[in-house]
Amino acid sequence: MAQSNVATAPTPAPEPKAPGTPVAAGLKLAAGKIGSFIFTVFVSSVIVFFSRWLVPGDPINFLLRGRSPNPEAIAEVTAIYGLDKPPLEQYWHWVTGVVTGDFGRSLQYRQDVSEVILDRLPVTLGLVVMSGIMIAVLGLAAGICASLLRGTWADRAIIASMSGLAAIPSFVGAIVLIAVFAVQLGMFPSFGSGTGFWDMIYHLVLPSLALALSFIAVVGRVTRSAMLEEFAREHVEVARSRGVTPVAVVIRHVLRNALGPILTVSGLLVAGLLVSSAIVEQAFGLAGLGSLLVSSVDRLDFPVVQAIVLIVVTAFVAINTLVDLLGPVIDPRLKAGEGAR
Amino acid sequence: MKTKNFNTKSLKLAAAAAVVLSLTACGGASPQAGAVAPTYELTEKTAAPTGELDKLSWSLYAEPYSLDYAYAFDFPDNQVLANTCESLLRLNPDMSVSPGLATKFENPTPTTWVYTIRENVKFHDGSTMGADDVVASLKRHLDPAVGSFWYSAFANVKSIKKTSTNQVTVTTTKPDAILNESLSGAPGVIESAAFLKKAGGDYGNANGGVNCTGPFELKDWRSGEKLSFERFDGYWDTKNAAKAKELEFVVMTDPVARVNAFKSGEIDGGWMPPANAIGELDASGAGKVYFGTNSAVQSLIVTNTQGPLGNPEVRKALLMSIDRTGLVAAAEAGYAKRTNALSAESVWGAADEATQQAAFGELTDYPYDVEAAAKIIQEQGVAGQEITITTAPMGNNFAVVAQATAAAAESIGLKAVINTVTPNAYTALFSDPEARKGTDLVYTNWYLSIGDPLEMFSILRTGDFSNYGNFSDAAYDKTVNEALGTLDTDKRFAKSARAQKILNEDLPWLPLYEVPTILWMNDKITGASPSVNHLYYPWAAQIGAK
Repeated sequence: MAQSNVATAPTPAPEPKAPGTPVAAGLKLAAGKIGSFIFTVFVSSVIVFFSRWLVPGDPINFLLRGRSPNPEAIAEVTAIYGLDKPPLEQYWHWVTGVVTGDFGRSLQYRQDVSEVILDRLPVTLGLVVMSGIMIAVLGLAAGICASLLRGTWADRAIIASMSGLAAIPSFVGAIVLIAVFAVQLGMFPSFGSGTGFWDMIYHLVLPSLALALSFIAVVGRVTRSAMLEEFAREHVEVARSRGVTPVAVVIRHVLRNALGPILTVSGLLVAGLLVSSAIVEQAFGLAGLGSLLVSSVDRLDFPVVQAIVLIVVTAFVAINTLVDLLGPVIDPRLKAGEGAR
Repeated sequence: MKTKNFNTKSLKLAAAAAVVLSLTACGGASPQAGAVAPTYELTEKTAAPTGELDKLSWSLYAEPYSLDYAYAFDFPDNQVLANTCESLLRLNPDMSVSPGLATKFENPTPTTWVYTIRENVKFHDGSTMGADDVVASLKRHLDPAVGSFWYSAFANVKSIKKTSTNQVTVTTTKPDAILNESLSGAPGVIESAAFLKKAGGDYGNANGGVNCTGPFELKDWRSGEKLSFERFDGYWDTKNAAKAKELEFVVMTDPVARVNAFKSGEIDGGWMPPANAIGELDASGAGKVYFGTNSAVQSLIVTNTQGPLGNPEVRKALLMSIDRTGLVAAAEAGYAKRTNALSAESVWGAADEATQQAAFGELTDYPYDVEAAAKIIQEQGVAGQEITITTAPMGNNFAVVAQATAAAAESIGLKAVINTVTPNAYTALFSDPEARKGTDLVYTNWYLSIGDPLEMFSILRTGDFSNYGNFSDAAYDKTVNEALGTLDTDKRFAKSARAQKILNEDLPWLPLYEVPTILWMNDKITGASPSVNHLYYPWAAQIGAK
């Protein structure tokens, strides 16, 4: 009975459904993730926009910065920046602008916010990408080495230095790196972002390292424990007993499975990188988004603050959505779970 | 009771002295600064350069907000702007005024100013300057859509008209003594009318840039990091043509990074290095620190007249409780001069000697006397009341002044709270009445843009925007208004001396000390005049190789 049921049920449409089900499920999952992504960004935009009214101080007074205001000028400037409209209308104007890449006008730079941000973007992207590479390479290397050398003095040394690194705030790292490599050894410049691609990379070595230090420690520790967990699994034992080379075991069986937790942590790190970059940019005199955010908050330059916060929130949520979507692709167990192969 | 009082007082005195002494020690410039102030001489002009420079790199402590002259009102904005955009008149190192883009100015009636425009002056784009450009440039200050920060300088202006091909006439509704002199600064900057029209809302920002007549031409503005200029070969004033082929302003907000860059030679020079680093810089042997004329007075603005400081007697007592000589040593490493006036002596250069003597010699001194000050506090019945001093981490002097003032207030029986805000929030105190709520005292370095103290006195008239404590005195308002309408220099300065005396009696702001303009140049360069006029004079053009 049971057998015939199983046999008959798929018969009406076995061909399109069998391969279709996992894809449909995947699409459904993706659609859900993307839907919640859009919803999160929308809610953030509302919070980001209206939080301005919670901050004391009038942006117009900032615009006039200590000069005797002419009442007509105040009225004009208020109208130019759209501050005379009701908040809801201002929100609608802003959010429809954002969709087309128009974030309004910066009060401090008297320039389009999108231009101000695009000017700063290369430095911050350079910083985050270089830090990301350093974190991935050094963090993974340290974690893999420690897990392979488990229990030895080298493992303990790596764990100890990881704990030390994790405790170093990025501004302390920046000061030490400037003192040693810029002032004492003169190997790297102490400020600025240079001109041209290679010069920028050269200028960003120390700042990226300062930014990466504590994150290298986090990724290193997560990698080590994820690797150890995988080493203890049966399929690794099986692979080893079947005579697979140790390198292949590590890469194909251990690291691949350990990537899930590492990826999850890395997604969260992106937000941390964007936040910490403000401090590093300040220390190295870099004109990036972080230092721009700090000065904009201070100067009540709310169009810039709103734009940066929205961009960071969107980037953060997008990366985490991507990690969620990539998870099943990378993790072979999730694929295997579908029972097809 | 008496003994207890005495004991607490001496304890507080000791605490105040300890604060000043320990802060002096922190300053690090000179260990005995409390006792012996370092001597410094004012330099009028540094040695003439012997050659050209490929590149002159200069530090800025903050980025200019804009290079639009209508919004240039702070040190970084004007230091940069002065080298690329020029005014109708020129402000000299001694604060006197001479011809600039106007070859002469005449004053045929009390309400008419006629400017003859210099011929054959080129803008950076190669076009020739004419009367239309002058009219368009000046008229912007009257345009509400521009919202010029210099609007008040033009408050009495009725019309600005081209009266011949090379002549512009400005008429005012009533005689205005300082309008003409204002045209030596940012209010008088001349920009090409066509460029203004083309750049529109982007004029003066990192995108739109500027197109003026100065010795340097803007090439690139990397927002947040640096501004690059090139020598302008078509510059009209061939005698003052730039000696450096390139000029680069690097934004360095961190004072330690700035001093390091000076010492290592990464940056050639900078205005106003931190006073507590002067000893260190001099000792480095990498260059030299110069001192020059300044138009600034460091003072404490009383921002709240509802609190105990609303009472002039209490203000006097507070000023008497501050050891201003000690403060000069602690806050400025000795590189300053104690004062009782709210205007610097340098802005009285146009007055005759007798008037200068009257303006400064007849002022009441408020000697350091804690006992007498404490007695006043008791008599006025404000003992135990609280004052809030708002400060920001903007340098050693800010910290020292705030702490010394708090200690001084405590030493005479007031309670003092120090409220530290961010540098930009501090800037907001000067424009936003909301931001000033809850603050009684704010330290300021208030400089004047012209060689006339009326620029200072006019802001303390009843209802003026910068009259932060709402000081109001009918006799004072009358004196200042009369002076502003008096075109005769001697008579005007005599009235100004009276205004200065009233401020000295009433103390709406507490005068502390005058600092010189400080300039650092490394040993590769020379030529600048270390004067506050660097805000309005193309000073970088004078610098060349040593």
